Amino acid sequence: MKSVLKSITLSMLALGMMSSALAAAELRFTVWTGNEAHLAMLNGIAESFRETHPDVTVRFETIPAGDYTQKLTFQLAGGNPPDAGWMMEDAASTFANAGVLEDLAPTLNAAEGYDLADFSEPAMGLWGADGKVWGVPFSTSPFVIFYNKDMFDKAGLEDPLALAAKGEWDMETFQEVAKALAEATGKWGFEFKDGQGYDTRIMHALMPPIRAYGGDVWANQECGFDKPEAIAAVQQLHDMTFKDKSIVPPGENGDYFSGNSAMTINQISRASLMPDAGFNWGIAPLPTGPGGEAPVIGQAAIVVFTAGRQKELAAAFVAHMTNEANVAKMAQFFPPARNSVLSSEAFTASNNLIPAEQMEVVGNAIANGKVLPSHERSPQLLAAMKPRVDALWRADANVEESLKTVCAAIQPLL
Amino acid sequence: MIGSLTQRQLRAVKQICWTLALCVVAIPFVFPFLWMISSGLKGPSEIFGQPSLIPTSFRWNNYLEVFNYQPFARQYFNSLYIAVTVTLLTLFISSLAGYALARLRFAGAALVALFLVSALMVPEEVTIIPNFFLIRWLGLSDTHWPLILLPVFGSQGIVGTFLMRQYFLALPKELEDAGKMDGLSRFGVWWRIALPMSRPALAAVAIITFLNSWNLFLEPLIFISSLEKFTLPLALSNFTDPYGSPLWHLQLAATTLAVLPILMVYLIAQRQIIESFALSGVKG
Amino acid sequence: MTARDERAPWLTLKMREAMEAWLFISPTLAGFLIFFVGPLCAVVWYSLTEWNLLSQQSVFVGLDNYDDALFHNLDFWQVVRNSIVFAIGLVPLNMALALALALALSRRFAGVVFFRTVFFAPVVTSAVAWAIVWKFLLQGEAGFVNQMLAGIGIHGPNWLREPDWAMVAVIVTRVIKMVGLNMILYIAALQAIPRDYEAAARLEGASNWQIFRMITWPLLGPTTLVIMVITTIGSFKVFDHIYLMTGGGPENGTLVLAFYIYQQGFQFFDVGYASALAMIMFVIVMGLTVVQLALRRRDT
Repeated sequence: MKSVLKSITLSMLALGMMSSALAAAELRFTVWTGNEAHLAMLNGIAESFRETHPDVTVRFETIPAGDYTQKLTFQLAGGNPPDAGWMMEDAASTFANAGVLEDLAPTLNAAEGYDLADFSEPAMGLWGADGKVWGVPFSTSPFVIFYNKDMFDKAGLEDPLALAAKGEWDMETFQEVAKALAEATGKWGFEFKDGQGYDTRIMHALMPPIRAYGGDVWANQECGFDKPEAIAAVQQLHDMTFKDKSIVPPGENGDYFSGNSAMTINQISRASLMPDAGFNWGIAPLPTGPGGEAPVIGQAAIVVFTAGRQKELAAAFVAHMTNEANVAKMAQFFPPARNSVLSSEAFTASNNLIPAEQMEVVGNAIANGKVLPSHERSPQLLAAMKPRVDALWRADANVEESLKTVCAAIQPLL
Repeated sequence: MIGSLTQRQLRAVKQICWTLALCVVAIPFVFPFLWMISSGLKGPSEIFGQPSLIPTSFRWNNYLEVFNYQPFARQYFNSLYIAVTVTLLTLFISSLAGYALARLRFAGAALVALFLVSALMVPEEVTIIPNFFLIRWLGLSDTHWPLILLPVFGSQGIVGTFLMRQYFLALPKELEDAGKMDGLSRFGVWWRIALPMSRPALAAVAIITFLNSWNLFLEPLIFISSLEKFTLPLALSNFTDPYGSPLWHLQLAATTLAVLPILMVYLIAQRQIIESFALSGVKG
Repeated sequence: MTARDERAPWLTLKMREAMEAWLFISPTLAGFLIFFVGPLCAVVWYSLTEWNLLSQQSVFVGLDNYDDALFHNLDFWQVVRNSIVFAIGLVPLNMALALALALALSRRFAGVVFFRTVFFAPVVTSAVAWAIVWKFLLQGEAGFVNQMLAGIGIHGPNWLREPDWAMVAVIVTRVIKMVGLNMILYIAALQAIPRDYEAAARLEGASNWQIFRMITWPLLGPTTLVIMVITTIGSFKVFDHIYLMTGGGPENGTLVLAFYIYQQGFQFFDVGYASALAMIMFVIVMGLTVVQLALRRRDT
């Protein structure tokens, strides 16, 4: 009996110890990548931080991307905050508004040789106001079209990059090409980002076409889904999905990266998947529309949490991590927001998977693009939108009516 | 003679029909397992290709990738040691309480029993929010403690208590009285005499508690945020690549790895396991 | 004086027993108070506040959260309706199938152990694994279920994409997952019925149906009640299944209370509103349990 009790007590103690024990100067930094190359680069940056802060180590903690914001919430609300971490753009306003993000401006302005003004202004839009800085963007990644060159060749079509060069790559051509591809190959013409345009990535699916048509999902606290531009854009997507049958419909699988769709929309970080895909490919800008060129950017930034115990140190690390040299280093994976790095030739040559002329597409988009919309109540907004957007994706849906319902649901929240 | 033969034949035919009907009904119970095992060996594009239970090529590599993708071995171990700890603690605590409710006379026994039973009627979603703050207040967020404490002291422990109580009630008292004569303390009687006689009930509590802990989802989802502290169900729900898109083939390979060992144990000890659940339900 | 001396040890013996009992029961009771009673009281208080999970600020707002849920929220009543539809779909289907399987498997015949093992296997399987696999099987055109249906000439619906079918899908897959449990409870109860009853009825020329109707079913009454209560409560607890299969969608068609509480509290940081929902859930489940017990009592 005694031995049983003892072993239980011992295992409890062991358990307790496993969970505590933080080294004095260790920064906990949450990221959503588990990629070895990414982590090696991050650890390299942490290593160089020791030149100025010899006893500081940084522990990068991976939280799976799908649940990142949710898990971060649990850590913050659960009294177990990381010191710093990555943050996705859709969470920016919510978290800043709840007062859980530390203002980095004092530290950044005081840091030696740190030029905050070097960050492109649109890129900083989400992350600061009134001289305060809630986060420093490390990835300002425009959405581009990935295409399967082999499928275009098989269908005897010009690829999007060539069309774009001739100035013919617009929404209308996009629809025609997608339809022709689906008919010629028996597969799909276009897939929404990672096949999740109907689930977790509603915004990524609807946003680019709506902007190409000259509309927006919301602006100045007013819903834009029921404006004529948005209706026209979504109508086109709906027709492509259910009439042309060229977009992978809800509940189906037409994974671009496995060669089942000829085109998809995604960010250039996805190029890392392409060497294994087994087909020729390329990237092109988003199709233009009646609203002209409308690049869309997805963003992620580095933030420091007010609840953390080592705020000053964490802020100093962010200053180090986002100085010019390190931003240039990170540019191999994450498109930078620093003008000095963007304009360098090193940037167009930085991605060994993507040829320089295609990297220019990326650079242009960063310079001219608009970030995805954010809102202090974006979780509620998305949840209010989701069921109404679901209704849109039925073959017999009335697009205009559905979008009006979307607006009715989200307008009170805006 | 002839008549009875045809009647026997008739019965045989009837039996075959019954068996066939049961086989048809069994399909949705068995098929998911077969499909899971087979798809865990397929490539990502083949899972949604032609429906076939036999992969065109066996990608054993999927199983290795599962371990590269996240600390799956560690997560496996977490689930295992948490389930074992919860089981041991539940056995200890619920058999003590069950013994007291069955054997000892004290004012308020009926009231205590009623209170405990009423807790079984309340879904844990009702109390999960205050429990979240309680765990934070105790400084135990992102540790395995809540995954141990909440089941042991929650409905699982109460189910165990009543199972044990029912079993103790049915045991003959004489042996315990004899033990008391020999100078055993109350605790000694419980430990030396009552517990050894209630192995079937202890086994039932152990099996149900272990499975419940092994399959727990809501609590890990809310309390655990670091990858190396995940338990299996949480790990399974989390197979997305660094950009958030799902990795189906790995998810299915991992699911197979998580489900098969339990299934094997179940197939070997199915009689014991099924009886344990029968016991729990009758007392519930 | 001597009489008192004799009585004293007897009294202490009784007290001693009571003390030992409280000692034995104290770990369970302490846990019960800390992790159940306390939180249950707390949730009442929380439900009267507006409390942001992230910023940790709370303000007393009285009954605003209840008012919001019952009279203003666009989704609340749909969620309640969904939870009730889920229970109404799940409980009878589960119980009928469990009883049918139990009747078929309570006799001895070759293969009976095999079938019991098969029907019970999903019960020991993790709900997460079960939901993940069925989510794949129920994909649109390319899903295995629809491919099979197409094989026999049926054009299956896009199961998890149409609200009504998604509800059907989560109910049926949940029933398949859990029916084994009720099946073995029924088998145990059936085997406890003395054989003589049936034999006697047969001698009087009763048909199978009559035997079931007049003998088996009434004798199963207590078991049926237990199963009904357990299954009904269980149907309100379902979280992981919905979380993984549909995430409450499409069009909120499978958004049930358990999931809605999680969503409001932990995804939208609205602790007060989520707590009000938890209280409402508590009342609904308690109410249903009491009603079921009362109905049964009147019956018998």
